[in-house]
Amino acid sequence: MKLRKWQLPLAALLLSTALVACGDKDSSSTSTNETSQADQAVEYRDTLNIALTAQPPTLDSAQTVSAVALDIAGNIYQQLFQLDKNYEPQPVLAESYEVSEDGKTYTIKLREGVKFHNGNEMTAADVVASMNRWLVTSSRAKALLEGANFTEVDPYTVELTTKTATSDVLILMASQAQFPAIMPKEIVESATAEGFSEYIGTGAYKFQEWKQDQYIHLVRNADYVSLEGDASGFTGEITAPTENLYYHFVTDHSTRIAGVQTGEYDIADSIPIENYDQLASDPNVELQTFPGGTLTAFFNTNEGVLANEEIRQAVLAAFNNEEIMLASFAKPELYALAPGYLNQNQTQWSTEAGAEYYNQADAEKAKKLLAEAGYNGEEITLLTTKDYNEMYTATLVIQEQLRQIGMNVKVETFDFPTWLETKNDRSTWDIFVASTGYQITPAQLLAVTPDWAGLDNETIKAGLAAARAASTPEEAKAEWEKVQTYMYEYASSTVIGHYNGVVAINKDLEGFELFEAPVVWNAKLAK
Amino acid sequence: MFAYIFKRLLSIIPVLFVVSIVIFLIIHITPGDPAATILGMEATQEQIEALNEELGFNRPIHEQYISWVAGLLQGDLGNSLFMKMPVTEAIAEHVGPTFSLAVIAQVIALVLAIPFGIIASYKRGSATDATLMGMSLFGMAVPSFLLGLLLMLVVGVKLQWLPVAGYAPLEDGLWEHVKYLILPAISLGTIQAALITRMTRSSMLDVLNLNYIKTARAKGMKEWNVLMKHAFRNAFLPILTVIGQTFGTLVTGAVVVETIFNIPGLGQLIMNSIVRRDFVVIQGVVLAVTFMYVMINLLIDLLYGVVDPRVRLDRK
Repeated sequence: MKLRKWQLPLAALLLSTALVACGDKDSSSTSTNETSQADQAVEYRDTLNIALTAQPPTLDSAQTVSAVALDIAGNIYQQLFQLDKNYEPQPVLAESYEVSEDGKTYTIKLREGVKFHNGNEMTAADVVASMNRWLVTSSRAKALLEGANFTEVDPYTVELTTKTATSDVLILMASQAQFPAIMPKEIVESATAEGFSEYIGTGAYKFQEWKQDQYIHLVRNADYVSLEGDASGFTGEITAPTENLYYHFVTDHSTRIAGVQTGEYDIADSIPIENYDQLASDPNVELQTFPGGTLTAFFNTNEGVLANEEIRQAVLAAFNNEEIMLASFAKPELYALAPGYLNQNQTQWSTEAGAEYYNQADAEKAKKLLAEAGYNGEEITLLTTKDYNEMYTATLVIQEQLRQIGMNVKVETFDFPTWLETKNDRSTWDIFVASTGYQITPAQLLAVTPDWAGLDNETIKAGLAAARAASTPEEAKAEWEKVQTYMYEYASSTVIGHYNGVVAINKDLEGFELFEAPVVWNAKLAK
Repeated sequence: MFAYIFKRLLSIIPVLFVVSIVIFLIIHITPGDPAATILGMEATQEQIEALNEELGFNRPIHEQYISWVAGLLQGDLGNSLFMKMPVTEAIAEHVGPTFSLAVIAQVIALVLAIPFGIIASYKRGSATDATLMGMSLFGMAVPSFLLGLLLMLVVGVKLQWLPVAGYAPLEDGLWEHVKYLILPAISLGTIQAALITRMTRSSMLDVLNLNYIKTARAKGMKEWNVLMKHAFRNAFLPILTVIGQTFGTLVTGAVVVETIFNIPGLGQLIMNSIVRRDFVVIQGVVLAVTFMYVMINLLIDLLYGVVDPRVRLDRK
């Protein structure tokens, strides 16, 4: 009798395994059913599953540059102006606008009858509250639109006054990084330092649920009234054909890849280059690439050996960018070499200025410059993190290239948070490489942001101000070309190359667009 | 018995105290600023300092520790910096998946290990024994993440029998819940199975040589009864110890497997929290896991008395 006390649980274990085995058969029969349904292909699925690399810190777009946060928030919130596929700001929640003669006052007419997800109509009071919060919350807006202010003119008109007339006001308001989301006034007012109690916007999708470390679930906003015109970038018609969007947080990249291969996920973000071929050969998966950003090397212009401009020039001369990019991105079709700091597709700012300093791969010149500068084997430190593979690989190649010209180079590797902190202590490093997404205007570039790598240079600041104050796009571009040339002459940093981001999607997915971010609000998948 | 349980529970307090100090120190010595991590690559120094001030990270470390312990004594583990929710709530949300995973992994381990161990001991020195022991050696040697990735590739991607990743709570149905956990449970349970197989075999061998087994055989008892009723029950005590220890490891050691299979359990919570430098969560989870580990061991000790009536814990 006593014996059964422990035999019983054992029997239960055996039984449960048997059950599990039976269940297995069930699953294979369901999948057969699914296949036969797909043959009819009449209806679309009510859910899209999207795998992102990480959980966003917040959905408060004004606070964050995190791509995952902005990808999700872009479905919930809209802006007064958003970019079309040619990077031109187009009115979205705005109807039209006028600029005063002195270029300092913008009178913006709002679209009437736009409903928030809580059922209330959007009026000027909401827009003023949202935009003024953005002006003080977004570090970009704070820096570039200092002293600007929104006021209400009438329930459907707002007025923006700026301290100085600049040409990039609309584009700053339309940028995706730290974008100004329009939300109800009461939400803005109840926001704490930690963010909002509710996520309420005017977008085609409503916030439904945030399961920590698992997913964010959005549902279609039935009251959404779309703009007219073809979908283009972040503007145009939004049909929201799929009822539910699930953004899953899948940190492990092999899991994201396996998931998109089995149909668990319909879209998988940030596919690492080493898995490109594996997915390209899968008939169920389509790979799409988009201009991802630049891989850039930043030099310490303040302290250490590289505070000497001539030594920085020697380093620039030694760089073989082709070699670095090939090692970091493996496939020539996934990267491009060009000295410009901004997106090559963005004709407004794309320039070859400074090309003579770019990708020189001239070891002899580098050695000569080093000798002239009196370099005497002092150790320099390259700071990197293994959390971003391309940054780490590029650093190792640079280490080798600099050794070739006789420099004494050490690499220090940290995890990303530590890297971030160490970078801010300018006595600890001489060079670091970072892959960063594109910015829309030169003034937003990390390469000219003093906090980023310590470059606080009056010539650059004056040049950027001149570009912003220019009255025509051509004039603005000419000013930026001067700044970019100066940045190469001063050797404060160098673009190593431009990389493409890779997104894997289910090959049957329709209406999906890759523009700065995966745009899913018109995407649908046949059952 | 109750006096014993009470004594054991009391002895947990110093353990937790030491663990709390060690973990607190390690975390605060680790470089990497939670504020910088939360605010992202482009945050200004000014913003980072403001957030640190708000989170209280610029206070002296002993002050931070004291206020944390004060909260702890009131059952408050603090608030997650990143997830903006109480740590107790975060743990409660994440403990379920880990527990289910550990139970299923243990089931798989036991179902394989105990029969294998018994057979190996019974057929000692034979080819069967050698094969089983070889398999168990292999099982111990293969890292769980490697096995996990292989299973994912073969069973998930190629054969498409089971989902490759994700998690469904029990509310979605038993099968829905279990099917996401089978592959991770196999990759996690294999090492345990190997360990328990070896333990069962050696423990059985010890017992099988004893006189009362010879007596049982001599009086003509059926071999099955000899093995199960006489030998296995008496060999079970050391096996139970290993099961208890391995279950503890399953709860605590699921970090990598949970990350690979995207299971929102405690392992993934702690992993994410380390990357996010979410100090408060790391502290809370380590403490909670220590507590669980100690409790599992206590439970196993109590089970000794149930399995073997000669063991009377409170008379020690």
